[in-house]
Amino acid sequence: MSTHDATRRAFLVRAAAGAGAVAGAGLVPGALTQAHEQRPETGAPATTQPHSNVVEHGAFFNDENAATIAAFTERLMPGAPDKPGARDAGVLNYIDLALAGAYADLQDFYRRGLAQLDAYCRKTYHEPFVRLNAARQDEVITALEQGKATGFTWPTAQVFFDTVRTHTMEGMFADPIYGGNKDFAGWRLVGFPGAQAMFTPADLQNRQAFTRAPMIGLQAQGKGPARKA
Amino acid sequence: MATEKTDVVIVGMGAAGGILAAELGKAGMKVIGLERGPRLATADFSALDELRYFQRQDLRPNAKRQPVTWRPNAKARANPLPILNYGNQAGGGTVHYGAISWRFHEDDFRSRSQTIERYGASAIPKDCSLIDWPLTYADLEPFYDRAEYELGVSGKAGNLQGRKIEGGNPFEAPRRREYPLPPLMADQSGVIFAAGARKLGYHPFSSPRAILSQTYQGRPGCTYCGFCQAFGCHIGAKSSILVTKLPEADATGNFKLLTGTMCYRVKSDNSGRVTGVSYWGSDGSDNTIEAELVILAPFIYDNTRLLLLSKTAKFPNGLANSSGQVGKHLMAHIGARVFAAFDDRFVNIYMGPNAQKHSLDDWNADNFDHSGLGFIRGAQISITPADLEGGPIGAAMSMNPPPGVPRWGAAYRDFLSKYFARYAAIIAQTDNLPYADQTIDLDPNVRDQWGLPAPRLTYDWRRPNELARVEFLLGKLEELGRAMGATHVWRSPLGAGAPGAHHEGGTRMGSDPKTSVVNRYGQSWDIPNLFIIGSSTYPSMSGFNPTLTIQALAYMSADAIANRYKNKPGPLA
Repeated sequence: MSTHDATRRAFLVRAAAGAGAVAGAGLVPGALTQAHEQRPETGAPATTQPHSNVVEHGAFFNDENAATIAAFTERLMPGAPDKPGARDAGVLNYIDLALAGAYADLQDFYRRGLAQLDAYCRKTYHEPFVRLNAARQDEVITALEQGKATGFTWPTAQVFFDTVRTHTMEGMFADPIYGGNKDFAGWRLVGFPGAQAMFTPADLQNRQAFTRAPMIGLQAQGKGPARKA
Repeated sequence: MATEKTDVVIVGMGAAGGILAAELGKAGMKVIGLERGPRLATADFSALDELRYFQRQDLRPNAKRQPVTWRPNAKARANPLPILNYGNQAGGGTVHYGAISWRFHEDDFRSRSQTIERYGASAIPKDCSLIDWPLTYADLEPFYDRAEYELGVSGKAGNLQGRKIEGGNPFEAPRRREYPLPPLMADQSGVIFAAGARKLGYHPFSSPRAILSQTYQGRPGCTYCGFCQAFGCHIGAKSSILVTKLPEADATGNFKLLTGTMCYRVKSDNSGRVTGVSYWGSDGSDNTIEAELVILAPFIYDNTRLLLLSKTAKFPNGLANSSGQVGKHLMAHIGARVFAAFDDRFVNIYMGPNAQKHSLDDWNADNFDHSGLGFIRGAQISITPADLEGGPIGAAMSMNPPPGVPRWGAAYRDFLSKYFARYAAIIAQTDNLPYADQTIDLDPNVRDQWGLPAPRLTYDWRRPNELARVEFLLGKLEELGRAMGATHVWRSPLGAGAPGAHHEGGTRMGSDPKTSVVNRYGQSWDIPNLFIIGSSTYPSMSGFNPTLTIQALAYMSADAIANRYKNKPGPLA
């Protein structure tokens, strides 16, 4: 019920705003036209952010859970120079908003999944997930994926992993209107041009990456990649 | 509580229901259509939004509110399926479908006889309930023709009245004339698929689709946006029932559509006739329609469910079920799949209509010699994106990376980054056989939002015949990927035994009232004023998608009702 209603609401909002806004940035996968802005892994990323360690949450997650999800999803889709990752795409913001809206029925799933993750990490490594180094975090995620992490009842370790992975991909690649895929980070990563209303016969036969038109999102938003003056 | 009277009530306004509403309305019959979902319009589909339509399944039934449960066998407990692959609005599945529009092969209608003639009766698995259809391809050909021309299907003939035509499917059954519209343009994936297939001696062609390749009947041609299967068409180029037959039905002045309504019972009397239906309105009201003729045309589960829910003292096993066959012989397609990725070129498979873009029919039906292969029947092979949908969420969810690459982390990121625009999937859509123990019934434990027992599927496609066929086909798909020049070719795992797409069966048609539920017109053998139209009546399936055959059957039944039944109600066969 919530899924349907939320998407309906999103549609109405979009319809009112007028669809089909265009934002810049051509598409050259692997050799992005936009300079990749590396954010520091820790520390205050921007003075406008209300939370010091994690950007973009507030609809559902508390600070601690937000930090864990930000770290976890960044390991699933890590950023690198010219390769936007989960943090660049605002995956945390996507999941936070989804759990406050369309996926509200998964709030307890996340709460309990994160509590179990925390307990597992403290038991195995005597530290919470966010304090572990990247290699240790990957060990933990692998244990979840393979169902080998102990102490999980509901959600099971594998189901929790699968769900976070699914939501990470959604946050990377869904239209920016849903709060992730910031500045089309996910689309730039893979070379997807977004909501193009048509492709020409020449486009259909081009053996190269599609770069003829700018990426298109669903909403006018001033959030598109900044055009260089 | 309201009671209305009408000539005909049709439950479900999808592929079959919309055609029946328009045709019976034109014949002067008063028709009321009941539709569980809303009636949307082309303007509702302006959002090219992969999350909403593909990932969150906005045009499908909500699996939590309208659960359908599945178990692999009668000993297992059934659990709700996470995704329901059918429509939930006026126009039904034709709103979101990939619009692949096949005519079945001649031998699809008589695969039992065909198998026995060519390989002997022992070639059919002992537990298989395969029977011939009670009609032939030739009987249905005029109605395939009508469906293609009235709805608008694009394609290239391969067999014009017995003459083979270059560029079409040479294995297709003879057709009286060309398609009304030329084939859709091939994108790169189609071009490389065709080149690879020809190298191997196959006969590739552009898949016939109910998508306009140019302006037709006032609707515009396709713009190749790629937001197609799983989406409503944002310009109305997809020939869905929503933009074809429902406006025709409206224009008759004899049609009334009631949206947001849930039919929960077919009413019958002691004379052995049905008298109408009961339904809940969108406001929760409990209503009755009294009708001379009741036509059931929802997705297949609800046919079986409604017949079982409508039992009375006179029909203790449910309506139309003196044969005991209601709910049996459930079938579904399985998509065996191989991925191909190219280091030396882009494919950009997200462009253009996304489902089963280019096809070959060399390994389908009985188009090849099965002697010694250990299985009968085949599969349609085509090129398509990961989950018949071209966006990056679809690729991330449905494309397993090649062996050695994990599903997450830097290596996975680099895989997606490099190959999202350089991959294609090759799939084999299999002609799975009917078995009597593959069933639909009422789940004793799970109820839907209306409090009705959920339809429960008992099904496992992993039978010896089906497993042998899939293994054989996966080898062919890998060969094809290499012939296409792919740098990397790898298999997709087969997964659990749950039914895939395109479900058939549950109210099978036949020639014998003792062993089938309906006759060739979808008319109940037991109750002549009750019709069931749709793929639930298929006695066997095909490697081909079912919708055009559903539509041809709807035209044939409408023709029989308007020209024969209306004047002289009674058994049509």
